[in-house]
Amino acid sequence: MSRLGRVLVMLVCAFGALTAGAWRYALAADEAAPQIKEYKPNISAREYEKRYNAVYGKYTEQMAEEGNPADFMLDDGKDLFSKVEGSAGKSCASCHGANGEKLKGAAAGFPKYDPATKGINTVALQINRCREDHMGAAPLKYESYDQLALDLYVKSLSNGVPIKVSIDGPARPFYEAGKAYYYKRHGQFNFSCALCHVKYSGHMMRANLLSNNRHHADHWPSYRLKWAGTGSLQRRFRGCNKNVRQKPLPFECETYRDLQLYLTYQANGLPIQVPGFKM
Amino acid sequence: MRTSNLAALGLTLVVFLALSAAAMAGGNAENGKKIVQARNLGNCAACHVVPGMEFPGDVGPDLAKSMEGYAAKDRDTVWQWVWDARKFDPDTIMPPFGPNKLLTKEQVDDVVEYLYSIKKK
Repeated sequence: MSRLGRVLVMLVCAFGALTAGAWRYALAADEAAPQIKEYKPNISAREYEKRYNAVYGKYTEQMAEEGNPADFMLDDGKDLFSKVEGSAGKSCASCHGANGEKLKGAAAGFPKYDPATKGINTVALQINRCREDHMGAAPLKYESYDQLALDLYVKSLSNGVPIKVSIDGPARPFYEAGKAYYYKRHGQFNFSCALCHVKYSGHMMRANLLSNNRHHADHWPSYRLKWAGTGSLQRRFRGCNKNVRQKPLPFECETYRDLQLYLTYQANGLPIQVPGFKM
Repeated sequence: MRTSNLAALGLTLVVFLALSAAAMAGGNAENGKKIVQARNLGNCAACHVVPGMEFPGDVGPDLAKSMEGYAAKDRDTVWQWVWDARKFDPDTIMPPFGPNKLLTKEQVDDVVEYLYSIKKK
Protein backbone atom coordinates (compact mmCIF):
# COMPACT_ATOMS: atom_id res chain seq x y z
CA MET A 1 0.00 0.00 0.00
CA SER A 2 1.34 3.41 -0.91
CA ARG A 3 2.02 6.02 1.72
CA LEU A 4 -0.94 8.07 0.47
CA GLY A 5 -3.20 4.99 0.77
CA ARG A 6 -2.08 4.38 4.37
CA VAL A 7 -2.68 8.01 5.29
CA LEU A 8 -6.13 7.83 3.74
CA VAL A 9 -7.02 4.66 5.67
CA MET A 10 -5.81 6.24 8.91
CA LEU A 11 -7.87 9.36 8.25
CA VAL A 12 -11.01 7.30 7.56
CA CYS A 13 -10.48 5.27 10.75
CA ALA A 14 -9.93 8.42 12.84
CA PHE A 15 -13.06 10.03 11.39
CA GLY A 16 -15.07 6.83 12.09
CA ALA A 17 -13.87 6.71 15.69
CA LEU A 18 -14.68 10.38 16.21
CA THR A 19 -18.21 10.12 14.79
CA ALA A 20 -18.90 6.95 16.80
CA GLY A 21 -17.75 8.74 19.95
CA ALA A 22 -19.86 11.80 19.22
CA TRP A 23 -22.86 9.58 18.47
CA ARG A 24 -22.51 7.73 21.76
CA TYR A 25 -22.07 11.00 23.62
CA ALA A 26 -25.20 12.39 21.97
CA LEU A 27 -27.16 9.24 22.92
CA ALA A 28 -25.98 9.41 26.54
CA ALA A 29 -26.93 13.10 26.75
CA ASP A 30 -30.34 12.24 25.30
CA GLU A 31 -30.96 9.59 27.94
CA ALA A 32 -29.81 11.85 30.75
CA ALA A 33 -32.24 14.70 30.06
CA PRO A 34 -35.07 14.42 27.57
CA GLN A 35 -35.21 17.63 25.59
CA ILE A 36 -38.38 19.51 26.45
CA LYS A 37 -38.90 22.88 24.87
CA GLU A 38 -40.32 24.93 27.70
CA TYR A 39 -43.00 27.49 26.95
CA LYS A 40 -42.94 31.12 27.94
CA PRO A 41 -46.26 32.71 28.94
CA ASN A 42 -47.86 34.87 26.24
CA ILE A 43 -49.03 37.27 28.93
CA SER A 44 -46.72 39.11 31.36
CA ALA A 45 -46.95 38.44 35.11
CA ARG A 46 -48.34 41.94 35.77
CA GLU A 47 -51.02 41.63 33.10
CA TYR A 48 -51.89 38.16 34.42
CA GLU A 49 -52.45 39.54 37.90
CA LYS A 50 -54.67 42.30 36.51
CA ARG A 51 -56.78 39.77 34.60
CA TYR A 52 -56.92 37.39 37.54
CA ASN A 53 -58.21 40.16 39.81
CA ALA A 54 -60.75 41.21 37.18
CA VAL A 55 -62.18 37.66 37.04
CA TYR A 56 -61.82 36.43 40.64
CA GLY A 57 -60.86 39.49 42.69
CA LYS A 58 -64.09 40.48 44.44
CA TYR A 59 -65.25 36.89 44.88
CA THR A 60 -62.13 35.87 46.76
CA GLU A 61 -62.50 38.98 48.96
CA GLN A 62 -66.07 38.01 49.83
CA MET A 63 -65.00 34.46 50.58
CA ALA A 64 -62.27 35.67 52.91
CA GLU A 65 -64.84 37.74 54.84
CA GLU A 66 -67.32 34.93 55.20
CA GLY A 67 -64.86 32.17 56.07
CA ASN A 68 -63.91 28.88 54.46
CA PRO A 69 -66.29 25.89 54.72
CA ALA A 70 -63.23 23.63 54.88
CA ASP A 71 -62.48 25.05 58.36
CA PHE A 72 -64.96 22.49 59.76
CA MET A 73 -62.94 19.70 58.15
CA LEU A 74 -59.79 21.19 59.64
CA ASP A 75 -61.34 20.96 63.14
CA ASP A 76 -62.22 17.31 62.53
CA GLY A 77 -58.65 16.72 61.36
CA LYS A 78 -57.36 18.10 64.63
CA ASP A 79 -59.54 15.65 66.57
CA LEU A 80 -58.38 12.74 64.40
CA PHE A 81 -54.76 13.70 65.08
CA SER A 82 -55.13 12.78 68.73
CA LYS A 83 -57.47 9.80 68.22
CA VAL A 84 -55.86 6.52 69.31
CA GLU A 85 -56.10 3.89 66.56
CA GLY A 86 -54.45 0.56 65.70
CA SER A 87 -52.65 -2.25 67.53
CA ALA A 88 -49.86 -0.06 68.97
CA GLY A 89 -52.37 2.02 70.96
CA LYS A 90 -51.02 5.29 69.59
CA SER A 91 -52.32 8.39 67.92
CA CYS A 92 -50.42 10.84 65.69
CA ALA A 93 -50.08 13.07 68.75
CA SER A 94 -48.25 10.31 70.68
CA CYS A 95 -45.12 10.95 68.57
CA HIS A 96 -45.64 14.39 67.04
CA GLY A 97 -46.86 16.31 70.12
CA ALA A 98 -50.33 17.13 71.39
CA ASN A 99 -50.75 20.04 68.98
CA GLY A 100 -48.41 18.62 66.37
CA GLU A 101 -45.58 20.92 67.50
CA LYS A 102 -42.97 18.62 65.99
CA LEU A 103 -44.61 18.81 62.56
CA LYS A 104 -44.48 22.59 62.20
CA GLY A 105 -42.91 23.34 58.82
CA ALA A 106 -42.63 19.65 57.93
CA ALA A 107 -45.13 19.83 55.05
CA ALA A 108 -43.09 22.58 53.33
CA GLY A 109 -40.56 19.96 52.20
CA PHE A 110 -43.14 17.63 50.61
CA PRO A 111 -43.33 15.94 48.16
CA LYS A 112 -39.87 14.54 48.77
CA TYR A 113 -37.71 11.58 47.79
CA ASP A 114 -37.97 8.62 50.16
CA PRO A 115 -34.93 6.28 50.13
CA ALA A 116 -36.99 3.44 51.69
CA THR A 117 -39.37 3.19 48.73
CA LYS A 118 -37.04 4.80 46.16
CA GLY A 119 -39.95 7.00 45.15
CA ILE A 120 -41.67 10.30 45.84
CA ASN A 121 -43.54 10.67 49.10
CA THR A 122 -46.50 13.02 49.51
CA VAL A 123 -47.95 14.09 52.88
CA ALA A 124 -50.99 11.87 52.24
CA LEU A 125 -48.78 8.86 51.54
CA GLN A 126 -46.57 9.60 54.56
CA ILE A 127 -49.59 9.76 56.89
CA ASN A 128 -50.76 6.36 55.71
CA ARG A 129 -47.25 4.90 56.05
CA CYS A 130 -47.06 6.21 59.62
CA ARG A 131 -50.40 4.65 60.41
CA GLU A 132 -49.32 1.26 59.10
CA ASP A 133 -45.72 1.21 60.38
CA HIS A 134 -46.00 2.97 63.73
CA MET A 135 -49.65 2.79 64.80
CA GLY A 136 -50.58 -0.62 63.42
CA ALA A 137 -53.68 1.03 61.95
CA ALA A 138 -55.30 0.55 58.56
CA PRO A 139 -54.38 3.11 55.90
CA LEU A 140 -57.05 5.70 55.16
CA LYS A 141 -58.76 5.54 51.78
CA TYR A 142 -57.51 8.37 49.60
CA GLU A 143 -59.94 11.26 49.20
CA SER A 144 -62.15 9.92 52.01
CA TYR A 145 -63.32 12.50 54.57
CA ASP A 146 -60.96 11.35 57.35
CA GLN A 147 -57.97 11.13 55.03
CA LEU A 148 -58.53 14.67 53.70
CA ALA A 149 -59.18 16.02 57.21
CA LEU A 150 -55.92 14.61 58.59
CA ASP A 151 -53.96 15.72 55.52
CA LEU A 152 -55.44 19.21 55.89
CA TYR A 153 -54.61 19.44 59.58
CA VAL A 154 -51.02 18.24 59.12
CA LYS A 155 -50.47 20.74 56.30
CA SER A 156 -52.09 23.56 58.29
CA LEU A 157 -49.32 23.12 60.89
CA SER A 158 -46.99 24.58 58.20
CA ASN A 159 -49.27 27.44 57.23
CA GLY A 160 -47.20 30.52 56.39
CA VAL A 161 -43.99 28.49 56.00
CA PRO A 162 -42.40 28.98 52.55
CA ILE A 163 -42.51 25.87 50.37
CA LYS A 164 -39.02 24.38 50.01
CA VAL A 165 -39.11 21.32 47.82
CA SER A 166 -35.83 19.74 46.76
CA ILE A 167 -35.27 18.24 43.31
CA ASP A 168 -31.58 17.53 43.87
CA GLY A 169 -29.93 14.12 43.69
CA PRO A 170 -32.25 11.12 43.62
CA ALA A 171 -35.40 13.32 43.35
CA ARG A 172 -34.27 14.70 40.00
CA PRO A 173 -35.48 11.86 37.71
CA PHE A 174 -38.93 12.02 39.35
CA TYR A 175 -39.05 15.78 38.80
CA GLU A 176 -38.09 15.23 35.14
CA ALA A 177 -40.80 12.57 34.79
CA GLY A 178 -43.36 15.00 36.22
CA LYS A 179 -42.20 17.68 33.83
CA ALA A 180 -42.37 15.28 30.88
CA TYR A 181 -45.98 14.45 31.79
CA TYR A 182 -46.73 18.18 32.12
CA TYR A 183 -45.51 18.84 28.59
CA LYS A 184 -46.91 15.70 26.94
CA ARG A 185 -50.11 15.94 24.89
CA HIS A 186 -53.05 14.07 26.40
CA GLY A 187 -56.58 12.99 25.65
CA GLN A 188 -58.93 13.39 22.72
CA PHE A 189 -58.38 17.18 22.78
CA ASN A 190 -54.62 16.67 22.50
CA PHE A 191 -53.76 19.28 25.17
CA SER A 192 -50.75 19.33 27.46
CA CYS A 193 -50.93 20.83 30.96
CA ALA A 194 -48.24 23.33 29.94
CA LEU A 195 -50.16 24.62 26.91
CA CYS A 196 -52.99 26.00 29.04
CA HIS A 197 -51.15 26.75 32.27
CA VAL A 198 -47.89 28.17 30.91
CA LYS A 199 -48.22 29.31 27.27
CA TYR A 200 -51.83 30.52 27.42
CA SER A 201 -52.09 31.29 31.14
CA GLY A 202 -54.07 34.48 31.61
CA HIS A 203 -56.13 33.88 28.47
CA MET A 204 -59.82 33.14 28.74
CA MET A 205 -61.19 29.72 27.84
CA ARG A 206 -64.88 30.58 27.54
CA ALA A 207 -65.66 32.19 30.93
CA ASN A 208 -62.68 30.60 32.72
CA LEU A 209 -59.32 32.23 33.21
CA LEU A 210 -56.50 29.80 32.45
CA SER A 211 -54.49 29.92 35.65
CA ASN A 212 -50.73 30.24 35.95
CA ASN A 213 -49.00 27.18 37.44
CA ARG A 214 -46.97 29.22 39.95
CA HIS A 215 -49.85 29.07 42.44
CA HIS A 216 -51.20 25.60 41.69
CA ALA A 217 -49.75 23.64 44.58
CA ASP A 218 -49.65 25.97 47.61
CA HIS A 219 -53.21 25.67 48.97
CA TRP A 220 -54.45 22.05 48.87
CA PRO A 221 -56.69 20.53 50.20
CA SER A 222 -59.09 23.30 49.12
CA TYR A 223 -62.80 23.94 49.30
CA ARG A 224 -63.99 24.21 45.72
CA LEU A 225 -67.37 25.70 44.84
CA LYS A 226 -67.67 23.48 41.75
CA TRP A 227 -67.37 20.40 43.95
CA ALA A 228 -69.38 21.93 46.80
CA GLY A 229 -66.78 20.19 48.92
CA THR A 230 -63.15 19.86 49.85
CA GLY A 231 -60.68 17.88 47.79
CA SER A 232 -57.00 17.36 47.08
CA LEU A 233 -54.71 18.58 44.32
CA GLN A 234 -54.84 15.06 42.84
CA ARG A 235 -58.62 15.27 42.61
CA ARG A 236 -58.03 18.42 40.58
CA PHE A 237 -55.55 16.51 38.38
CA ARG A 238 -58.29 13.97 37.70
CA GLY A 239 -60.68 16.77 36.77
CA CYS A 240 -58.15 18.20 34.33
CA ASN A 241 -57.60 14.75 32.81
CA LYS A 242 -61.35 14.45 32.25
CA ASN A 243 -61.51 17.97 30.78
CA VAL A 244 -59.13 16.96 28.01
CA ARG A 245 -61.05 13.66 27.63
CA GLN A 246 -58.32 11.47 29.06
CA LYS A 247 -58.83 8.60 31.47
CA PRO A 248 -58.04 9.87 34.99
CA LEU A 249 -55.34 8.04 36.97
CA PRO A 250 -55.66 6.56 40.49
CA PHE A 251 -54.92 8.72 43.55
CA GLU A 252 -51.28 8.68 44.71
CA CYS A 253 -50.08 6.73 41.65
CA GLU A 254 -46.47 7.34 40.64
CA THR A 255 -47.37 9.71 37.79
CA TYR A 256 -49.51 11.97 39.99
CA ARG A 257 -46.83 12.06 42.70
CA ASP A 258 -44.18 13.03 40.10
CA LEU A 259 -46.54 15.67 38.74
CA GLN A 260 -47.19 16.99 42.25
CA LEU A 261 -43.44 17.26 42.81
CA TYR A 262 -43.04 19.21 39.56
CA LEU A 263 -45.90 21.59 40.40
CA THR A 264 -44.91 22.10 44.03
CA TYR A 265 -41.39 22.96 42.89
CA GLN A 266 -42.94 25.74 40.76
CA ALA A 267 -44.43 27.11 44.00
CA ASN A 268 -41.12 27.08 45.90
CA GLY A 269 -40.82 30.14 48.14
CA LEU A 270 -44.56 30.74 48.43
CA PRO A 271 -46.14 30.24 51.87
CA ILE A 272 -48.39 27.22 52.43
CA GLN A 273 -52.01 28.39 52.78
CA VAL A 274 -54.52 25.67 53.64
CA PRO A 275 -57.41 25.24 53.34
CA GLY A 276 -57.64 27.04 50.01
CA PHE A 277 -60.85 28.40 48.53
CA LYS A 278 -61.38 27.91 44.82
CA MET A 279 -64.10 28.62 42.29
CA MET B 1 -98.10 -4.36 -3.66
CA ARG B 2 -95.12 -4.90 -5.93
CA THR B 3 -95.54 -1.54 -7.59
CA SER B 4 -95.73 0.28 -4.26
CA ASN B 5 -92.54 -1.47 -3.10
CA LEU B 6 -90.76 -0.37 -6.25
CA ALA B 7 -92.05 3.15 -5.82
CA ALA B 8 -90.79 3.24 -2.23
CA LEU B 9 -87.40 1.99 -3.36
CA GLY B 10 -87.31 4.61 -6.11
CA LEU B 11 -88.25 7.37 -3.67
CA THR B 12 -85.54 6.25 -1.21
CA LEU B 13 -83.00 6.32 -4.02
CA VAL B 14 -84.03 9.80 -5.08
CA VAL B 15 -83.86 11.09 -1.49
CA PHE B 16 -80.47 9.43 -0.96
CA LEU B 17 -79.07 10.92 -4.16
CA ALA B 18 -80.43 14.35 -3.30
CA LEU B 19 -78.86 14.15 0.15
CA SER B 20 -75.46 13.06 -1.16
CA ALA B 21 -75.59 15.85 -3.74
CA ALA B 22 -76.24 18.33 -0.94
CA ALA B 23 -73.29 16.90 1.00
CA MET B 24 -71.00 17.12 -2.01
CA ALA B 25 -72.01 20.73 -2.53
CA GLY B 26 -70.15 21.48 0.72
CA GLY B 27 -72.24 21.10 3.83
CA ASN B 28 -75.07 22.85 5.56
CA ALA B 29 -74.44 26.16 7.31
CA GLU B 30 -77.40 25.76 9.71
CA ASN B 31 -76.07 22.39 10.88
CA GLY B 32 -72.60 23.90 11.06
CA LYS B 33 -73.85 26.63 13.38
CA LYS B 34 -75.31 23.99 15.74
CA ILE B 35 -72.03 22.04 15.73
CA VAL B 36 -69.98 25.20 16.35
CA GLN B 37 -72.18 26.16 19.31
CA ALA B 38 -72.67 22.71 20.90
CA ARG B 39 -70.48 22.23 23.97
CA ASN B 40 -70.05 18.52 23.24
CA LEU B 41 -69.09 19.01 19.56
CA GLY B 42 -67.26 22.05 18.23
CA ASN B 43 -67.50 24.24 21.35
CA CYS B 44 -65.60 26.81 19.27
CA ALA B 45 -66.45 29.72 21.63
CA ALA B 46 -64.18 28.10 24.23
CA CYS B 47 -61.28 29.70 22.35
CA HIS B 48 -62.74 31.91 19.57
CA VAL B 49 -65.07 34.87 19.29
CA VAL B 50 -68.15 33.42 17.55
CA PRO B 51 -71.01 35.68 16.39
CA GLY B 52 -73.93 35.59 18.83
CA MET B 53 -72.12 33.68 21.60
CA GLU B 54 -71.44 35.17 25.02
CA PHE B 55 -68.24 34.87 27.09
CA PRO B 56 -66.00 33.82 24.21
CA GLY B 57 -62.43 32.68 24.86
CA ASP B 58 -59.43 34.62 23.58
CA VAL B 59 -57.00 31.79 22.94
CA GLY B 60 -57.66 31.73 19.18
CA PRO B 61 -58.62 34.51 16.72
CA ASP B 62 -62.10 35.98 16.10
CA LEU B 63 -63.61 33.53 13.60
CA ALA B 64 -65.48 36.07 11.47
CA LYS B 65 -62.37 38.25 11.23
CA SER B 66 -60.02 35.38 10.47
CA MET B 67 -62.35 34.29 7.62
CA GLU B 68 -61.65 37.61 5.87
CA GLY B 69 -58.40 36.12 4.61
CA TYR B 70 -60.08 33.22 2.80
CA ALA B 71 -61.81 33.38 -0.61
CA ALA B 72 -64.20 30.69 -1.89
CA LYS B 73 -61.29 28.96 -3.64
CA ASP B 74 -59.47 28.53 -0.30
CA ARG B 75 -62.14 26.17 0.95
CA ASP B 76 -59.68 23.25 1.28
CA THR B 77 -57.40 25.35 3.52
CA VAL B 78 -60.27 26.32 5.83
CA TRP B 79 -61.38 22.68 5.89
CA GLN B 80 -57.86 21.57 6.84
CA TRP B 81 -57.73 24.12 9.69
CA VAL B 82 -60.81 22.57 11.25
CA TRP B 83 -59.90 18.97 10.43
CA ASP B 84 -56.29 19.08 11.70
CA ALA B 85 -54.60 22.44 12.30
CA ARG B 86 -51.28 20.73 13.05
CA LYS B 87 -50.61 20.84 9.31
CA PHE B 88 -50.14 24.63 9.61
CA ASP B 89 -48.71 24.78 13.14
CA PRO B 90 -47.32 21.53 14.59
CA ASP B 91 -47.50 22.96 18.15
CA THR B 92 -51.01 24.39 17.89
CA ILE B 93 -53.42 24.15 20.84
CA MET B 94 -56.35 23.58 18.45
CA PRO B 95 -57.65 20.02 18.88
CA PRO B 96 -57.29 17.79 15.81
CA PHE B 97 -61.05 17.49 15.28
CA GLY B 98 -60.79 15.00 12.40
CA PRO B 99 -58.02 12.55 13.38
CA ASN B 100 -59.18 12.45 17.03
CA LYS B 101 -62.76 11.74 15.95
CA LEU B 102 -64.26 14.83 17.57
CA LEU B 103 -66.10 15.59 14.31
CA THR B 104 -66.88 13.54 11.18
CA LYS B 105 -66.00 14.67 7.65
CA GLU B 106 -69.62 15.69 7.07
CA GLN B 107 -69.66 17.74 10.27
CA VAL B 108 -66.46 19.52 9.23
CA ASP B 109 -68.10 20.25 5.84
CA ASP B 110 -71.01 21.85 7.71
CA VAL B 111 -68.71 23.86 9.98
CA VAL B 112 -66.77 25.18 6.96
CA GLU B 113 -70.04 26.16 5.29
CA TYR B 114 -71.03 28.04 8.46
CA LEU B 115 -67.62 29.77 8.62
CA TYR B 116 -68.11 31.11 5.08
CA SER B 117 -71.59 32.29 6.06
CA ILE B 118 -70.22 34.49 8.91
CA LYS B 119 -67.44 35.92 6.78
CA LYS B 120 -67.78 39.71 6.65
CA LYS B 121 -68.52 40.78 3.08
